[in-house]
Amino acid sequence: MSDCMLRLQSVTKRFGTTMAAESVSLEVGQTELFALLGPSGSGKTTLLRIIAGLDAPDEGRVLIGGRDVTRLPPYRRGIGMVFQDFLLFPHKTVAENIAFPLKMQGKSRAETADDLKWVSQLVRLTGLEERYPHELSGGQKQRVALARGLVSRPSLLLLDEPLANLDRELRKRMEVEIRRFQLELGIPFIYVTHNQEEALTMASRMAVMREGCLEQIGDKLALYHRPATAFVAAFLGSPNTFEGDVVGVEDGRAEIAWHGHRFWSRAHDGLAPGLRAVCYVKSEKIAFASSGAALAGRLRDTIFKGQYADYLVCLDDGHEITVSAAPDLCHRPGEAVGITWAADDGDAFPAVGKE
Amino acid sequence: MNHRSGFGVQVLLLAALYLFLYGPILYVIYVSFQIDSIWPFPPTLTLEHHTDLWQRRDYHAALWNSVTIGFGTGLIATLFATLAAMAILKYRSPGSGLVAGLFLAPLFIAPILIGISSLMFSRTVLGMPGSIFGATLANSTYATAFALLVVLAQFARYDWRLDDAAMVFGARPWRTFWEITLPITWPAMLGAFIVSFLLAFNNLEISFYNLGATPTLPTLAWGALRHGISAELYALAAIINFAVFALFTVLYLLLRLGTIRID
Amino acid sequence: MSNTVRFWLMVLPGTVFLVVFLLLPLIAIVVFSFWRTESYTLIQDWNLDNYATIFSHSAYLTFLARALVMATCVSLVCLAYAWPVAYFIVRYGGRYRLILLLSTAAPFLTGEILRVAALQQILGPIGVVNMALTRFGFDPIEALMYSNMATGTGLVYLWLPFMVLAIYLSLLNFDFALLDVAKITGAGPLRAFVEVTLPLNRAGTAIGIVLVFIPTLASATTSQFLGGPDGALYGNILARQFGSTGTWALGSAMGVVLFLASALALVIVWRAVGDLRRSGIVIKGAPKP
Ligand SMILES: Nc1ncnc2c1ncn2[C@@H]1O[C@H](COP(=O)(O)OP(=O)(O)OP(=O)(O)O)[C@@H](O)[C@H]1O
Ligand SMILES: [Mg+2]
Repeated sequence: MSDCMLRLQSVTKRFGTTMAAESVSLEVGQTELFALLGPSGSGKTTLLRIIAGLDAPDEGRVLIGGRDVTRLPPYRRGIGMVFQDFLLFPHKTVAENIAFPLKMQGKSRAETADDLKWVSQLVRLTGLEERYPHELSGGQKQRVALARGLVSRPSLLLLDEPLANLDRELRKRMEVEIRRFQLELGIPFIYVTHNQEEALTMASRMAVMREGCLEQIGDKLALYHRPATAFVAAFLGSPNTFEGDVVGVEDGRAEIAWHGHRFWSRAHDGLAPGLRAVCYVKSEKIAFASSGAALAGRLRDTIFKGQYADYLVCLDDGHEITVSAAPDLCHRPGEAVGITWAADDGDAFPAVGKE
Repeated sequence: MNHRSGFGVQVLLLAALYLFLYGPILYVIYVSFQIDSIWPFPPTLTLEHHTDLWQRRDYHAALWNSVTIGFGTGLIATLFATLAAMAILKYRSPGSGLVAGLFLAPLFIAPILIGISSLMFSRTVLGMPGSIFGATLANSTYATAFALLVVLAQFARYDWRLDDAAMVFGARPWRTFWEITLPITWPAMLGAFIVSFLLAFNNLEISFYNLGATPTLPTLAWGALRHGISAELYALAAIINFAVFALFTVLYLLLRLGTIRID
Repeated sequence: MSNTVRFWLMVLPGTVFLVVFLLLPLIAIVVFSFWRTESYTLIQDWNLDNYATIFSHSAYLTFLARALVMATCVSLVCLAYAWPVAYFIVRYGGRYRLILLLSTAAPFLTGEILRVAALQQILGPIGVVNMALTRFGFDPIEALMYSNMATGTGLVYLWLPFMVLAIYLSLLNFDFALLDVAKITGAGPLRAFVEVTLPLNRAGTAIGIVLVFIPTLASATTSQFLGGPDGALYGNILARQFGSTGTWALGSAMGVVLFLASALALVIVWRAVGDLRRSGIVIKGAPKP
């Protein structure tokens, strides 16, 4: 990547026997909002702390703007950060909290006032400057934390689950705002979350982490639609899982036998006839079909979700499959239905070493 | 035992406890202002015992020695306890349990054992006769345990990731301590100082063996008490109790202040 | 510099200090307990005579036994008294908790000698209680003055705050909602206490017992002034070896025996606590606001 701002080269970090980061390599471009997604304990915070310089990696290098900063302490890296629980300084006012990075840089009073004004307007905090953190609402604290991260116009902003403690409404609003700041400032944001909706909403590119390893990095649509590993396929969206035997492999496709049914799906490395395979099909990619259906069953229940609905289909042999579709399909419970999906919408992986 | 009577019994017990703890102290303070200290009823007010006490040169020297021991111990214990508490809570390193065990061990060792063992050690191994210095060191081992308890209880509320935040925003370690850690945690440190100062100031069983011929207020009082209780002892007890309560009020305010709202 | 290195750098000063001025002296008296003293000097002459003296003269063992009985009684009285008090402070103290707790601890810091003096003024032969009794034509109460009873009272007076503090800290981390759970499932208040509160505060209680037992076992000053002629305890005899008689080696051996007795008490109490994970000890929890 030519305009690469942050580069991690085989970064490894152990805590005792836990591998919190295992040979992680990563590049983030000049103007990206890059999301780091992974379940709890997968090492996201550890990776951010290594980038910030709060923890030193056991192996590997960290480069910011082409400069090797691996051995540089956090206060010499010139980056901004928004912490998981905000971590506002409880004994300082909002203005003092936000101005803290400027104070550390020894900025003059006039410059500080200018920057404060600019950032307060950016994050819409004007009027709250003299309050103390315990006098703020959750959303306001969140903005102060953001303002503090942005005020010194860092070359890179790290955000560690900044919205995790907010309610759903506020979270939706802040998602949009954070995207706006990123576009306005034109600096890379590295956004850590375990909430895939958040990552899919905000990011341009993203990476999925699992037990300290990066499973897949790439465009968010690519990760969603073309998962490269079984973990990513199972983690993103809410897929149906079919575990069966591989009957044949040809042209990058595999034919899977599953409880007497047969269907095709994209084949990933390591599939060969006779092996066990797990196949993931996202529920919204399965459609009802009146003719030529791959599987037949009865509708057991409909779960209304607002913009869509989950239809629980019970196959004749007792297995249950979830189909997400428009909420206004007039299927009644007990009704016989057929379902089908395109071969390219399934992803089959070898069953060994699966989740 | 129903709820209401249980509550009443507990209130009574608490009141009785305070009466038990403070009755003798208040009575001594009362007696110190009375002419007849054996049967001071009806009250006949006098300042005689207090003025007598102030004129006793030996008490002046002893007071000064006690203050010196208290101050030295306060400084040593607070410094070591603060450093250890920070290290234990901030780094959560393996070995924390061992270190905490060592620092708190004096709580489980009788003061007289600390007294005689440090006496034997400094006299025989270090070749030092008893002195204020030796007494201060011996008291510091005991006081460090109490100081650590005070500091740990308060530091447990502090979120050490605030230090991380300050560092990311450009503060060097000392600046971080000065700007963030100290302003939030100083009440705990001062509280630890007050507790260890008072412990050493009033200590008898450790100081006694390590002082040599140097007098302090407790050893002087011990000597006086051997000849039976005397009027100036009442005055001394009254003054010391006043001083302890004054410092305790400060301590209380500090602990209150120390609970910075982190929400 | 890794965090482990920083950790050790920060704890090093205190650790070195405690090793040199606490542990080495304790080791020193163990060594000296195998030497002998001759006209106020220690002589390196490895022998077991000091221990033989302690264990063959019934006097020493009697004093030790007396001290053990005294320490046990004082601990039990403190335990029985401190529990309801600490419970009340935590449960109903509300925002006055801290001041109620500190008030129990304040007298501790005025020092042993002044507190003994104050108690003498109350309990002694010319103390206010007996003076009042004789004034109004009653006989003075013998047990109040110069007796084991008086020593015991003095020791409870001195160390009770420790027990209150230990139980208070334990109860601070106790979730009182568990009591409601017990009551909803049908336990009466007493039953709930026995089944839930007490087991979950075992560790704190044990720490309190040990904190009272150990200094009481060694007490010298209180019994010296309140115990009267027959009130001497082990601590008094121990102190005598370092005062008038100057038999340091024997004194060191007595100190070692005292230390072993305390350690034994610690082990017994700790064994009684059992599995720490189910005893309500909280390693890391911050106190509830
Ligand atoms: N200081 C530490 N000491 C020991 N182990 C640690 C430490 N910090 C993290 N770990 C371990 O490293 C792994 C990764 O932790 P990390 O905090 O990076 O996860 P995370 O992805 O941020 O999780 P979450 O979503 O819950 O915040 C976990 O197994 C954790 O227990
Ligand atoms: Mg995290």
